[in-house]
Amino acid sequence: MTADKDKLRTRIQQAIQSQKRPTVTVLSSLLAIQDSMGYIPEEAIEEVAVHSNTSINSVFGVASFYPNFRFTPPGEHSVEVCWGPTCHLKGATEILESVLEKLGLDSEGDTGDGKVSFRFNTCLGACSQAPVISVDHELYGNAKPDIVSNLLGSLYEKENLH
Amino acid sequence: MSDKVNLTIDGVEIQAEPGSMIIQAAMDNEMYIPYLCYYPGMKPYGACRMCVVKAESPTPDGSYRALPGSPASCTTPISEGMRVETNTGDLVDLRKGIMELLISEHPHGCLNCHRIELCGPTDVCLRHVSVNDRCVTCPKNERCELKDTVRYMEMELTTPLTYNNRHLPLEVKDPYWDMDMNLCIVCSRCVRACDEVRGDQAITLKDRSGRSIIGTAAGTSLLESGCEFCGACIDVCPTGAIVERDYKWDKAVQKVATTCPHCPVGCQLDLDVNKRNKVVRSIPNRQAEANMGMACFKGKFGLDFVNNKNKLKKPMVRKNSELEEVTWPEALDFVASKLANHKNGDYALIASARGTNEDNFAAQKFARRVMKSNNVNVSSNSRPKLVDSLQDLIGDDCASNKIWELLDSQVILLVSANITEEQNVASVPIKQAVAKGAKLIVIDQRETELTRYATKWIRPLINSEPILIGGILRSIVDQSLEDHDFATEKCKGYDEFRNSLWDFDLVKVSERTGISQEEIREMAQIFANTEASSILYGLETISDTHIDDTVKSLVNLSLITGNLGKNSGGIYPLFSGANQQGSRDVGCVPNLLPGHRPTASPGIDLTEISEACSSGAIKALHLIGDELFHNTANRSEFLDKIKATNLLIVHESFASDVTDIADVVLPSALFTEKTGTYTNMEGRIHRLRPALGPVGDEDEDWRILSQIAARLGSEDLPYSSSNDVLIEITNEVETYKTLEADSLDSQGHIRKPILNSSYVFSPIEFTQREELLVDDQYPMVFAPGRVLFDADRDAGIVTENDLNTITRREIIEMNEEDANKAGISEGDVIKILGEKFELTGNAHLNGLHSGMVATTTLFGTLIESLNNSTEPDPMAKIEGLRLCKVRVEKG
Repeated sequence: MTADKDKLRTRIQQAIQSQKRPTVTVLSSLLAIQDSMGYIPEEAIEEVAVHSNTSINSVFGVASFYPNFRFTPPGEHSVEVCWGPTCHLKGATEILESVLEKLGLDSEGDTGDGKVSFRFNTCLGACSQAPVISVDHELYGNAKPDIVSNLLGSLYEKENLH
Repeated sequence: MSDKVNLTIDGVEIQAEPGSMIIQAAMDNEMYIPYLCYYPGMKPYGACRMCVVKAESPTPDGSYRALPGSPASCTTPISEGMRVETNTGDLVDLRKGIMELLISEHPHGCLNCHRIELCGPTDVCLRHVSVNDRCVTCPKNERCELKDTVRYMEMELTTPLTYNNRHLPLEVKDPYWDMDMNLCIVCSRCVRACDEVRGDQAITLKDRSGRSIIGTAAGTSLLESGCEFCGACIDVCPTGAIVERDYKWDKAVQKVATTCPHCPVGCQLDLDVNKRNKVVRSIPNRQAEANMGMACFKGKFGLDFVNNKNKLKKPMVRKNSELEEVTWPEALDFVASKLANHKNGDYALIASARGTNEDNFAAQKFARRVMKSNNVNVSSNSRPKLVDSLQDLIGDDCASNKIWELLDSQVILLVSANITEEQNVASVPIKQAVAKGAKLIVIDQRETELTRYATKWIRPLINSEPILIGGILRSIVDQSLEDHDFATEKCKGYDEFRNSLWDFDLVKVSERTGISQEEIREMAQIFANTEASSILYGLETISDTHIDDTVKSLVNLSLITGNLGKNSGGIYPLFSGANQQGSRDVGCVPNLLPGHRPTASPGIDLTEISEACSSGAIKALHLIGDELFHNTANRSEFLDKIKATNLLIVHESFASDVTDIADVVLPSALFTEKTGTYTNMEGRIHRLRPALGPVGDEDEDWRILSQIAARLGSEDLPYSSSNDVLIEITNEVETYKTLEADSLDSQGHIRKPILNSSYVFSPIEFTQREELLVDDQYPMVFAPGRVLFDADRDAGIVTENDLNTITRREIIEMNEEDANKAGISEGDVIKILGEKFELTGNAHLNGLHSGMVATTTLFGTLIESLNNSTEPDPMAKIEGLRLCKVRVEKG
């Protein structure tokens, strides 16, 4: 357990140290950590506080201000459904409903088995192919509700192959 | 004054300080603009928008240009000729709208119930609102700023208004402190007080927009978030969101301004007294110059002992080995008949550090005149050398400057003092100065809160501090950084002192102190290259035999850099004992008569008194208060020694290990039952006012002593009130001559020091190293540190009995060579064994000096133990962080 924690702290420190920009700030350190680990563990708040010579509370104040920072490890796969205006007009609601049903979720969040993190996205930048869904940052355009179950099903299958 | 700015507020022409904000200008001229997030003394913030105004400033062509929109007056600076309207119809409407938004998340049955004027505190609520909206369920009822503001604005709210209840759980698991974030209006005064004023950042504004709320990182406990439990957040909260837990709902029927008895800062506190004769709350006075509205964990949460039911109420005399309650005349007759046989020098009196100037003046007079003995002392005077030389060299024995002058010091040197726990409020200006860019040098073997703020934290070898400071002095001379004019014109003995420095070769100094030459040179540069540098010293880790040398070196350092006598320069001794300074002034020390006049035949000091008790040289011991030696390892030894006396008279408020062995116990009044004066560390005389009526027959010490004196046939203590004693003090003590007792307010009165016509340098000596602390059985020195938080390391918070508790793996710092010899490597579980304690932790091998081990615990652990203590007055008996001898074993 302790060894795990030490490893975690080493990874956090590496992420902080790897920043190359001249303006290292609390925010840039948090971003570096989220980029490297996918989330902000509690230890990261402490490490950033030490690194920037401030208190854990101030760092947490910054981290919790931005909804894009997450404090729990993300699921193994990320699924995002665009509900920007174009996608909305082209039927994103149906996509959304079928994704939620398939994942067994009510809203944004992680599945109970930790496999999938699901989020809304306000624009994936591919309005010409609306409605759009992104699975592990790969876009699928002109989505129909029926492809959702294939797409998501394949996530679990890929897992089984390993 | 011509440098003030002229402006008009609501048609009234006023003058205000340049640079101030509109709201401040209005307040200074006794005009009110509603506000909630603004707080005098804190930076403009502009969160609540209650203080909106219309303002226009003149243009060069003579017309007026309106400031756009309705600016918040707390963030808009004044300008010459500005015209401000605060109460137009539009503004009133706008303000009401803002208030409606603000309270849309605050239960407001309590704000607008039409029965508020009629309801008494015990009336049954006629259910105009639901239960959790009722005013009586709020701890801030009747002292809520939000309610006052709503009512001032004559809001027309219909009852009941719906509001968005946040349904947040109460946070009541941390010691002393309750938080109900459902009542918060997110003005963030508390966050700013914690950050800006106290420099702690123990709480923060979490999350964003509609969910924004006050709390700690990831919802952790205050115990590990860096809180110093000073209560500043509670004092500024305008609603009932953050409150003191004890007596949470009690209402004050009386407010009494008095002085805190916990440390020599002498904080001015307003005590709330309820109708059942209990002190329910203490609120620091914002106008007081000693504490500027600050308090600490002791002054805020450590005063409940005055309400303790087990207070001693009747005099007691030991008959047939049992203490029996007797009447005052009987007890006094008994004491007088016994004392009559002890007028030949075998009598000693030790007064209380909490005794007022009046008590302790009477005490020394009683011992000297009535009992013919110079063996009189005050219990906190355990290290008289801390100030003796200061008096010889400068002419006065207290801080040369005011506490809050530290704010403008550019360099602050702190030598071996855990100021956060011992003289807490004095650390506030230090932290604020550092935030403004001042440099802090800390010389201490222990890690304390202020080492975190230090530009340089120096950990010299034990007892090498005088040599280290000698090295700095030498380096100042070598680099020609001295203030030569000051040293030669205003001081005596410079040449002789300068010659004594040639012994301090930096190579030798470096070897002896374990601090590199570069560091010493750098410290010399930092300290000498400024306009104003201050020195604070507590010398808590320095053995008694080295204290005098260290003090002399520090005075030399202050003189050679020309800092003494400057604003924000100077030197501050940090002793303990709320009225240690006053006790010295009124002669309640063995070597000085009132007014610092030396006595021809000084009495013996505290350690010698306890020795003399066991050897039989002292047969009658008179103890006022029981604090003596409580925080050193010598307590039990001391108790054993005083058992040997024939007569032990104790004035005490609570039963203790001393009253257990006393022959006579006289119930002594607490600070809340006394009239009198205290003198704080800057020589400021403060007033004590009685807040509580007596619960039994307890009496003030000066009166007890004067009655005993009368029974012994003496007319030396003819006092009928404490004021009589004070009048005598002002006549006898030169520095108190200017004191006008009637006009003593929260500002206090700075006693007039009688400084030497010129300061004196003292030559210093390069002494040989002595190993005083260790022996064969315990060969290492242990330096225990304590900090507010330690982000590098995991601290677990577990909940036990509904209270948060810290669980943590301690880390023990060790020298690598020492560890190698003992076969210990990094991370090993090791054990430290002292004479009276044991501590297990993981070894961490770093650059610590050979022969030392150190560890750093969390302040939260101390707070936890204080909160769980069953002692009547735990805050007065906190064990300081003393160095001690230990041995290290593999765990």
